[in-house]
Amino acid sequence: MQILANGIISGFTIALLAVAFSVVFLPTRIFHIALGGIYAAVPYAAWACLQGGLTWYAAVPAAILVAVLLSLATEYLNHAPLERKGASSGAHLIASLGLYIMIVQVIALIWGSQTKVLRIGLDQVFTFEDVIITRAQGIAAAVSVGTLVLFYVWLRFSNLGLQFRALADNPKELALRGYNIRRLRLLAFGVSGLLAAIGALVVAYDVGFDPYGGLIALLLAVVAVIIGGRQSFLGPVLGGLLLGVVRSEVVWFLSARWQEAVTFLLLALFLFVRPYGLVGRKVRLEAEV
Amino acid sequence: MNYLLHLLIYLDVYIIVALSLNMIVGYSGLLTLAHAGYFAVGSYTYALVSLTLGWGFLPALGLGIGVAALLSLALSLPSWRFGGDFFVMISLAVQVLLYSLFYNWSSPGVEPGTWSNLTNGPYGLAGIPKPAISTIKFDSIGNMAVLATVLASGCALLSWLLLNSPWGRLLKAIRDDELAARGLGKEVRLAKVQVFAIACGMVAVGGAIYASYVTYIDPSTASLDESILMLSFVLVGGVGNFRGPIIGALVLLAIPEALRFVEISSTAAAHIRLLAYGLLLVSLMHIRPQGIAGEYRVE
Repeated sequence: MQILANGIISGFTIALLAVAFSVVFLPTRIFHIALGGIYAAVPYAAWACLQGGLTWYAAVPAAILVAVLLSLATEYLNHAPLERKGASSGAHLIASLGLYIMIVQVIALIWGSQTKVLRIGLDQVFTFEDVIITRAQGIAAAVSVGTLVLFYVWLRFSNLGLQFRALADNPKELALRGYNIRRLRLLAFGVSGLLAAIGALVVAYDVGFDPYGGLIALLLAVVAVIIGGRQSFLGPVLGGLLLGVVRSEVVWFLSARWQEAVTFLLLALFLFVRPYGLVGRKVRLEAEV
Repeated sequence: MNYLLHLLIYLDVYIIVALSLNMIVGYSGLLTLAHAGYFAVGSYTYALVSLTLGWGFLPALGLGIGVAALLSLALSLPSWRFGGDFFVMISLAVQVLLYSLFYNWSSPGVEPGTWSNLTNGPYGLAGIPKPAISTIKFDSIGNMAVLATVLASGCALLSWLLLNSPWGRLLKAIRDDELAARGLGKEVRLAKVQVFAIACGMVAVGGAIYASYVTYIDPSTASLDESILMLSFVLVGGVGNFRGPIIGALVLLAIPEALRFVEISSTAAAHIRLLAYGLLLVSLMHIRPQGIAGEYRVE
């Protein structure tokens, strides 16, 4: 039970980043690697604010704002000009990789490469029956679930959410019907930065952070997107939960050293057996993204 | 003088890496993030057989090439079905699996190089012997530079001959339109297996030279960061022809050397060097997507 609970909680944090990734990937087909850099930058922004004497209530929104602005900047300065030139998806991928490298190296230049923590001392512990949950884990679970629910409500019931789903489904058709695609794309990058920032903060509060953790977290999220199914916004959540549970079972049955290997074996397995993911529909390979 | 020879050896290694990666990225059109893994396969195979079995340089090198070529099936078989971002993810999976193999195939208290402690885990293998072919020992830096240059020239010649042969044109045809190449009755799948085997075998040569020159190897050689670095310098130089990757290797060598003349600490220099790569990658995608001297734009 304990392992399952740990797995589900870490699964929700993976799911949050996975949704953040697919919010950009579904409408624009951009492999947003720079999101890994943003994910790494958020805790540093919060940490710097806290060091500067701000309270938690000021530091957290400031850090989230930094992430949203960074994410908007990647679209405004990089992907939108590339898109206007009709660049290939490979060019987007490589440019995003370059941005990721730049963000991480700037962080490492300013704050160094050591692991930092957002809280000091032992954490408070709650016990339910035979499951022990720390306060940080509780916060992570509650915030992740809350954010995801809010996001789905927005996506399902607001007018903007409807436009957004249309954008993910068929951007060209939406543009032909007179909607401003560029603004919607900016919105996608902003929402993506927001979700990634929340995910980064709850994880950093639980286990600490360093400049290089962003890429592996993002890759986990991408794996979650692929095994969950890329066609919908719900697939990534299922994929994230599955991944979180499997990873914590691996720690119990094998060792933490094999976590990454098992994760990527799972990815390879899914790509061969069910490349359209858990909830995806089967389509021809050529038609797939 | 020794400093120049040291640079020459590194340049040789980089050129081998760049030319082999060019075959995959520039001629097959597939981005791979597993190249450092195969580089380390060459290093580890060379180190293990020369340390524990006492093999000479050439047979150890040959075995390294063979092992890397065999393991390249892990990339070439998926490439039959996947392209684009999906192939990147597959190559990433291979990269992570190779890395965790090097990192985890160890058990404490056992002699390194035995079956239960093959790679000595995070501590790496030290004291790798300098190369020796029959009675000639390459223990001085000058000899080593000669050996590295000869091997790099051999790889360059091989790559030149292969890529200008009908086989090289077949690869280009597959890259540009796979269905059309298949429609003309070409063996697309066989060609993919061949190009991955040759490229991974070639990068294993670079790995063996590196291991025998530095005489120490640890799993960080196989890390994802190394793979990204290899990919980025090849893309900066440009792919799809012969001179692009070589220019990429020169740029990789030139940036840290140029930073030597600026008064900054070595840790900051390492970060600034990578920062320069990131900046180069982004700005090249905007200004010149085919790289400094390349021919092919990544799809």
